[in-house]
Amino acid sequence: MGILEHWLGYNAKRQRLYNKAPTGALKDFLAVPFPQPSTPFAQVPILAVDFETTGLNAVDDKLLSVGYVALQNRQIQLAQSYHQVINTGQKLKTDNVLIHRITDNLQAQGHPLEVVVEQLLKALTGKVMLVHFARIERHFLQQACLELYGLAPIFPIIDTLALAKKRLDMQDVAYDPSELRLANLRKKYQLPNHLAHNALNDAIATAELLLAQISYIPTENLQLKTLLC
Amino acid sequence: MSTELAEINNFIRSIPPFNELTDEKIVQLSQKITISYLRQDKKIHADTAILYFIRTGALTHVNEANELQGKYGEGDICSLFCCQNNEQNIPLVCAAEDCLLYAITCEQLTTVLIDYPKALEFILQRGSKRLKNKMVQVNEEAILSSSLMNTALSHFYKSPVACIKAYKSIQDAALKMTQQGYSCLLVIEKNTNENGQPIGIVTDKDIRQRCVAQGLSFNTEIREIMTHNMISIDCNNSAYDALIMMTSQHIHHLPVTKNGRLVGMITVTDLMNQEGLNAVNFASIIRKANSVAELSKISEMLPKLQIRMAKLGSTADHVGKTISAITMAFTIRLIKMAEDKLGQAPVVYAWLAAGSQARQEQFAHSDQDNALIIANDMLPEHEQWFNSFAHFVCDGLAACGFIYCPGNVMATNKKWRQPLSVWQHYFEQWVSVPEPKALMNASIFFDLNTIYGDTTLLQQVRNKMLATTKDNTLFLAHLSKNALQHKPPLGFFRDFVLTQNGNNEASLDLKHNGIAPIVDLARIYALAEGVNAVNTIERIKQVAGTPSLTQTSADSLIDAFEFLGLLRSSHQAKQLQAEKEPDNYLHPKEISRLEREHLKDAFKVIKTLQKARQVVY
Repeated sequence: MGILEHWLGYNAKRQRLYNKAPTGALKDFLAVPFPQPSTPFAQVPILAVDFETTGLNAVDDKLLSVGYVALQNRQIQLAQSYHQVINTGQKLKTDNVLIHRITDNLQAQGHPLEVVVEQLLKALTGKVMLVHFARIERHFLQQACLELYGLAPIFPIIDTLALAKKRLDMQDVAYDPSELRLANLRKKYQLPNHLAHNALNDAIATAELLLAQISYIPTENLQLKTLLC
Repeated sequence: MSTELAEINNFIRSIPPFNELTDEKIVQLSQKITISYLRQDKKIHADTAILYFIRTGALTHVNEANELQGKYGEGDICSLFCCQNNEQNIPLVCAAEDCLLYAITCEQLTTVLIDYPKALEFILQRGSKRLKNKMVQVNEEAILSSSLMNTALSHFYKSPVACIKAYKSIQDAALKMTQQGYSCLLVIEKNTNENGQPIGIVTDKDIRQRCVAQGLSFNTEIREIMTHNMISIDCNNSAYDALIMMTSQHIHHLPVTKNGRLVGMITVTDLMNQEGLNAVNFASIIRKANSVAELSKISEMLPKLQIRMAKLGSTADHVGKTISAITMAFTIRLIKMAEDKLGQAPVVYAWLAAGSQARQEQFAHSDQDNALIIANDMLPEHEQWFNSFAHFVCDGLAACGFIYCPGNVMATNKKWRQPLSVWQHYFEQWVSVPEPKALMNASIFFDLNTIYGDTTLLQQVRNKMLATTKDNTLFLAHLSKNALQHKPPLGFFRDFVLTQNGNNEASLDLKHNGIAPIVDLARIYALAEGVNAVNTIERIKQVAGTPSLTQTSADSLIDAFEFLGLLRSSHQAKQLQAEKEPDNYLHPKEISRLEREHLKDAFKVIKTLQKARQVVY
């Protein structure tokens, strides 16, 4: 481990946050080191995560459902998949329901935010988070932790959107931003259509996209740090 | 866990044999799946036994010599990595296109499918075994769906029943059976009349097993060898119930009762004949026809009979034999008409069927292949009679829908209307100086059958021929070379037929790429082993266990033949029903995924045996 990384790397930040965190789920999560940036890709434990939310603002809007699936050794493990609706205690907006298809009824049967976040943190422990468009998941999860534990943690994240964007930017050709949508990127890699806006389906779809993306990168020396956003 | 993995569940459910699983099992399965992405040209490396589902993309399987063995597209399962006990035989599979693969270890698969042994077998078994299971099922269904189900027993039983008094001797019983043509008698007490309740039953088998084989005196009373506690069936049951009862009890005779009183007897043969009854009726009206026009009218029913048989689930063997028998009846009737018109033949002759009719594998709308062997005492002036005779019969057959042979293999062709000595010479030439081209044209004459006339003529030709073909390496090598030109495809890829050279074709030629290669193989085996039979299944059965063919291979080959025949029969039935000319071109879209798997298994059987033949010569 380099001296810089020792002070500035995400594991160093994790350690500092760990010292501040209250005893409980968040502290447990922060107790375990994340994989080192130099870890070969195949050995990195990854958790593909997706949220459905009531809107795009992490402060005003609520987390509505969480889905995740584990990815390691280039294999998506459906045995380690999870999907849970959260009861926000608020009435849902119709136009929103049309997108994620979670109705008030379904929501009423959901679990409290705390239970779901705890489950997610447990699954994420020692892993790298994989999402498509990191902003939403990072902000909503940090916001949820802030509310629940009074502290916003750190997550090393691989973002399939950022990877695609980097590729397109390097090509120096103008592109339509809609090309970066999950469904459109999947189409580009001939991946099948998927039922979008279900948190678990989107998490699996994101994991599949990552496998397709990295299959186009010479992988012998592919290290985690090349992929982190 | 309701809709979470719905897409994956639906995908798995669409693939046989997983379509038979309950939703709960599908969910259990999908939870154990791992997903991976395989870039084009990358190989699959599996270190444990794994089943792959191809979600998107395509896989190619090659052998060590890099010859294509198969291709897998979206929605196919690849079970090549399921049985990895053999270290040397790691399958070489790589992505032909970028692939998204779902995988499950066979260990987990076995755990989940513990209550579905059939589905599990389907995935883990070798192709030939799988085909065998399929054919067992087909044959069971043929029985189940037969008209026996819907026919009351009262239409079948024979009445009155032959009885014998219990004190009579075994010899008396044998005499009575012989005189009255019965294979079984009911045994009654001395003082009861013919309608009294029987105390037992005795069959010819009992006389064989319990008397003759035991060295028992035939003066012994019949009660000593009769079966007591015989079972019976009420006449209100269906014929099918009777068949099942007899099958389960391993008996061939069953007394029939009405209100508890004995009214008759039914035998397995009575029931089995029901299925052939149509053919019998057909033959009898043919015999009664008095003109070619009448025969022609009758022949219009032939396609209908084939449709009906196919619908009843009859095996292709059964259909082929029935249609061939009816064609034979037409031919014989025409021969009789010709003799009425032209007068008796000047010398003895035999009218021969060649090809599929001779093998009893004919379907409606086949072409006619025939020939004449005439006794050696034929004189030049007799030629005119035989010429007119041949034309009358062949024209008549054409009028009945059996089109003229495009290759002119007909008795109207002087080359195939010759005295015995010339025929002997033909075969001598074909066998001792074989030329590939000549042999290809002649192969039809290695499947000959006498339809009418003196059967010894053909028998003489055949005996001599078989004596020379047996162990005749050069001849068999030439014959094999010809036969191996028809190659079965590898299987299917997407909605195409995948040929051995990797091409995609729109349709499968069931005849040339499936049935004919088996017919050819069977012919070679028969000639190599000096077997007299002409029917393909009969040939295979008779050569089974000889150096030409192991018993196991024979069983697999018959299964493959029957499966291909079944597909052809149902394919043609559909066409006949739509009033289209029946053909042998099957489009992959016509058949289910499961049938494609079975076809692939059948192709594999043929390919293996063709290869073995190539090695021998």
